[in-house]
Amino acid sequence: MATQQSDSSFAWNRIALYATLGLLVAFYLSPLESAIMTAFKTQTGFFETSPLVPPTPSTFTLDAWGQAFNRLQGGLVNSLLFTIPATLLSATLGSLVAYGLTNTNWRGQAFVLVLLIAGIFIPYQSVLVPLSRFWSVVDPATIFSWLPPVANRSGLVALAVTHTAYGVPITTLLFRAHYKSLDSSMLEAARLDGASIAKIYRRIILPLSIPMFAVTLIYQFTNIWNDLLFALVLIQQPSNDVVTISLTALQGSMVSQYNLQMAGAFITALPTLLVYILFGEQFAEGVAGGGA
Amino acid sequence: MAELQLDNITKTFDDGGDEIVAVDDVSIDIQDGEFLVLVGPSGCGKSTTLRTIAGLETITDGAIRLGGEVINDKRPQDRDTAMVFQSYALYPHMTVRENMSFGLEESTDLPDDEIRERVTDTAEMMGIAELLDRKPGELSGGQQQRVALGRAIVRNPAAFLMDEPLANLDAKLRAQMRTELQRLQENLDVTTVYVTHDQTEAMTMGDRIAILDDGELQQVGTPLECYHEPSNLFVAGFIGEPSMNTFEAHTDGDRLVAERFEYALSERHEDAIDGDNVVFGIRPEDVEVGSDPDDSHTYEVVVDVVEPKGDENYVHMAFDADRENPETFTATIGGLRRVEAGDTVVVRFPPEAVHLFDGDTGEAVLNRSLDTVEDVEPLL
Repeated sequence: MATQQSDSSFAWNRIALYATLGLLVAFYLSPLESAIMTAFKTQTGFFETSPLVPPTPSTFTLDAWGQAFNRLQGGLVNSLLFTIPATLLSATLGSLVAYGLTNTNWRGQAFVLVLLIAGIFIPYQSVLVPLSRFWSVVDPATIFSWLPPVANRSGLVALAVTHTAYGVPITTLLFRAHYKSLDSSMLEAARLDGASIAKIYRRIILPLSIPMFAVTLIYQFTNIWNDLLFALVLIQQPSNDVVTISLTALQGSMVSQYNLQMAGAFITALPTLLVYILFGEQFAEGVAGGGA
Repeated sequence: MAELQLDNITKTFDDGGDEIVAVDDVSIDIQDGEFLVLVGPSGCGKSTTLRTIAGLETITDGAIRLGGEVINDKRPQDRDTAMVFQSYALYPHMTVRENMSFGLEESTDLPDDEIRERVTDTAEMMGIAELLDRKPGELSGGQQQRVALGRAIVRNPAAFLMDEPLANLDAKLRAQMRTELQRLQENLDVTTVYVTHDQTEAMTMGDRIAILDDGELQQVGTPLECYHEPSNLFVAGFIGEPSMNTFEAHTDGDRLVAERFEYALSERHEDAIDGDNVVFGIRPEDVEVGSDPDDSHTYEVVVDVVEPKGDENYVHMAFDADRENPETFTATIGGLRRVEAGDTVVVRFPPEAVHLFDGDTGEAVLNRSLDTVEDVEPLL
């Protein structure tokens, strides 16, 4: 009797648990659902049906996707042009700085580390004015005037450099935590084996950092790709508009085309999703601290 | 291959303004091909000493010579030593072959096929040839240990430095590796400095042992010298398991008066003693249990605890078993002799087995006589 009773109360607990979970899933996914559905509907379809309901054959259209892609493709290319170098540079520099701060010994290490940590906490908004002043003095268009393809993209160069600089503190901190967990006697063994500091980095540290590179690449790519603030300040020519700027332009000034905006948002988010999928496995390993 | 000389090496660390002396004026001459064990309790400076030889620590004072050449100021990679670490310190992302090749690639100009051949030869000698394509993570602790040794051997250094290389193995494997390592070192005939806190490893493996305490060298000698002729109370207590029994005492004419017993001194003893305070020491195996009460130097004691080891029993006994926390001393007796806790037995401290130490300085003033040492006659 007693066991039966506890069995049934156990079953009720399970039902309640799954019901709650189901509700939460519906709650979190409904905006996504309505966005996808809206992106596939005509403007009339959007006004006449509930956003959560799939489109009927008469209200179904791919026009929004085509139009959004046409209007965003320039921005997508521009975004890739500055996001990829900035991501790779900030990860590589972070790894090098962290190596210099953990496995070598020199005076002033602590001071540099404190500076870097402080750098993490500087909000974007507080540097906007000095940043735009800086890039008007150091103008990439003038510096690269001998190389027109780069000079024409001066805003993107400024963005890449700014995001690299902004990313180095956090990537350094992530790599530093990883390098501190490495077996110090392994590095001593490498020194006794005759490897120089540079060789130890290339042959030991770098191969062991791959999971941490996945973490920083995903983190930095998402952050830099999604940034709008710096882009608004540093991009002057419309030809250099990045995807986040192009996306805001989809809003229109008179009529809101919701299907266009939704499709545009999905297209803009796609590269970050791809990066997650590509590096997901290493990312999990890096976050779990697998290291080796 | 070369002799290694430590000349008055001193290493101090700066700890927030306080100077900590980790190694204090240590001098040891290690012969070419000798196996020297540095032993001592944790924090005695043995690992620091080893690391100064490797170049991972700089010395504050003194000189280190390898093959007659001063190497203090050389970088670790230029010193021609190879080290085996307690954690094995293998490169986890490399195969065993890559692990073993790394040192040759970085420190020599050997062509690839030569490196390949040397690695294969060493791996075969170490019995790890079939593991060459695996990564360290796929190996057992014992196998990793062999790879770590192989990695050191393949470089053919002038000296091996080993920092507790067997400490992470289980007891059975450790005993096996002990013998193997000794055989290996004998065959390779490379000067070796081996650090351990385990006095059994020190006793069984070393050609000579150097005992360190608190950064200071206590004694350097063959294992049997250190065991039978300890230079002071620390060495006497550290070498030997179970430890030597010691009793604080003072002289009273031709007698030694300890807290719980008196001991009639022989002429040999009296000649050695200088001063009133004396520490009386006797090894557990020298305590004769079950003696005739009419003999000299016999005492009636009560058995407190018996620890059977199979081949022998450790018998902890007390003069004052009626007390709450009796002060015990230990005797070892044959495994087939039976005593039980609470038994009253007669023990004898034979005069020839007695060690005497200065009560103030701890220096040995008299060690046991070795007149009774017998040789086993070889059959052929």
